[in-house]
Amino acid sequence: MARIEETAGAAPCELQSLPDDGRLRRIVEFDSVTKTYHPGTSKAFTAIRDVTFHVEDKPGIGEFVGILGPSGCGKSTVLRLIAGLAPQFPATTGKVLVDEQPVSAPGPDRGFVFQDYANFPHRTVLDNVAFGLECSHVPEKERLERAREWIGKVGLDPKKDAGKFPHQLSGGMNQRVAIARTLILGPRIILMDEPFGALDPTTRQNMQDLLVALWKELEATVFFITHDVGEAVFLGDRIYVFSASPGTIVNQVAVTPPDRKSVEMQAVPAFQESVRHIRNLLDQAGRSSSNEPSA
Amino acid sequence: MPHLPPTNQSPLRIDTSWWRKFRTLRDEPPVLEGWVFGLVGILTVLGLWWLVTLGDPVKRWVDPYTLPSPAETFGSFPELWERGLSISALTSLLRVCGGFVIAAAIGVPLGLLSGSYPRVGAFFKPFGIFGRNVPIAALIALTLVWFGLGELQKVMFIFLAAVAFVLFDTTSAARSVPDRFLETAYTLGARHNWTKGLRLAAGIAAVYALLASVGWSWLKESVTLASEAATAGFWIRALAGFVLGFGLWFPLLSHQVLRKVVVPMAMPDVVNSLRLLFGLAFGYIMLAEVINAKRGLGALIITSQRQGPREHVYLCLIIIALLAWGIDRMILMVQRQAFPYLKHGQD
Repeated sequence: MARIEETAGAAPCELQSLPDDGRLRRIVEFDSVTKTYHPGTSKAFTAIRDVTFHVEDKPGIGEFVGILGPSGCGKSTVLRLIAGLAPQFPATTGKVLVDEQPVSAPGPDRGFVFQDYANFPHRTVLDNVAFGLECSHVPEKERLERAREWIGKVGLDPKKDAGKFPHQLSGGMNQRVAIARTLILGPRIILMDEPFGALDPTTRQNMQDLLVALWKELEATVFFITHDVGEAVFLGDRIYVFSASPGTIVNQVAVTPPDRKSVEMQAVPAFQESVRHIRNLLDQAGRSSSNEPSA
Repeated sequence: MPHLPPTNQSPLRIDTSWWRKFRTLRDEPPVLEGWVFGLVGILTVLGLWWLVTLGDPVKRWVDPYTLPSPAETFGSFPELWERGLSISALTSLLRVCGGFVIAAAIGVPLGLLSGSYPRVGAFFKPFGIFGRNVPIAALIALTLVWFGLGELQKVMFIFLAAVAFVLFDTTSAARSVPDRFLETAYTLGARHNWTKGLRLAAGIAAVYALLASVGWSWLKESVTLASEAATAGFWIRALAGFVLGFGLWFPLLSHQVLRKVVVPMAMPDVVNSLRLLFGLAFGYIMLAEVINAKRGLGALIITSQRQGPREHVYLCLIIIALLAWGIDRMILMVQRQAFPYLKHGQD
């Protein structure tokens, strides 16, 4: 079942793209993007080097891109460049385009879900979820109504949980709030930086199923960083494998999108075969780069 | 459960005696037991005091002039009350509140700005360092030169003594709001909202104008407000207050990230620091009241020392400490009500 189209290097997407006149809009595009901190000094550090990829805006569906790579390889840098968050933003060289326009600042069209949820401690669940609507002046009645609806959608109880403060919730519930708070704005792009990294395995699988269900109706493009190869293979349409620092894309793998529950899917032999294959790629990525740090 | 050190007894017979608990590191006693220990502490001091001042006034270990007996001290309370204890306490309290309100009104918004905009912070840093390191008592001489001998001097002394600390603590509070929350706010679409900022800042600025005009006249002990309102100075001060209030709050309130995230998230720390600083300021006011004050707890102490009765010096000290503690508890209660999302009120 796992359809694997493997291509080495950073250029292969060019082969798939249609001629200029008929080509699809690119929702996100990186063109030889390099980020170096303190350039020209002894502290100079290159987080990512020459990252090139693009994700097309296919009508009616969004793509789910999993990002895998060794620790500290600049995966977060890629997400934060798309989001426009300092100090990763702006890139040292290269172009970062969102919807074919250069990124200039963070905005609600690019939602970000962090590993540590970052729910505002002084706001109730309801007011956390309604935060984005509040910022764009949606009238109170409407925004609270929609917030309640989304609290239900992420599997929380709109009656019982809406008035709670983040410190009264478990990690999984907090992450549900953070997801509702981001998705309520209907972003075109959702950036998730190890969102389930701090959750226990059972909660994690439930969250994966929840994410699949919500994402299908949103038609957004998702970038999802994880250290869990199984999670990436389950959730993703496509997986980018990054090399060790300075990070660059060494492999792109297309995988079968999720069509059943996480637990069931992970038991299928073909799924396990994909996981094993990508784990090998990841292994190579870690090794090849440590041998030739300038590659 | 406390971690008991290993014993040479059989592991089944765990020693749960009181003495064992007493010797266990960080073994929290029940609330009541804690109170009993506190009470024993008070009784110990009272007992020693009673012992050294026991017997005939001429045959005591410590003469009554240096230390009157507990009975003499507490017995002199009605007399102290007659001397205007309540009005003195209220006067001291009002002076501290006045100076403290001004210090907070300027220090808090300035600190929030300093913590949010590092360049503003760098600009004010030298003032903060100077203000926190200058000896407080030295400010008395300065305020006497600048503000004369009246109420204004006492209030401005408290203001000058407190403002640098308020500024510094508020700056830290604003800076310690994690970046993550600011980033989240940005990606959820938080941005400038000039009209809302304009409306809110204008409202706050009006309060500043009122404080600067009416408050100032009141401190100068003007005869009537009407005669004061006829002067140009009154209206110039009102305008200056308005401009100051607007200038301090407009940048804070016109940015959604600051208004909805940084300011509310810094507030618990700010209020906590204000509570602790208020306790300090209440101590400072005694310094100012020692000089040329007709009323106030400091004045009461100094006249008791000079003219007697000596008992009142001790009584005043006890009352001041109790009063300060009471105010502290009151602010703490308000604090817990105001920030229900903190798991425990900070103590």
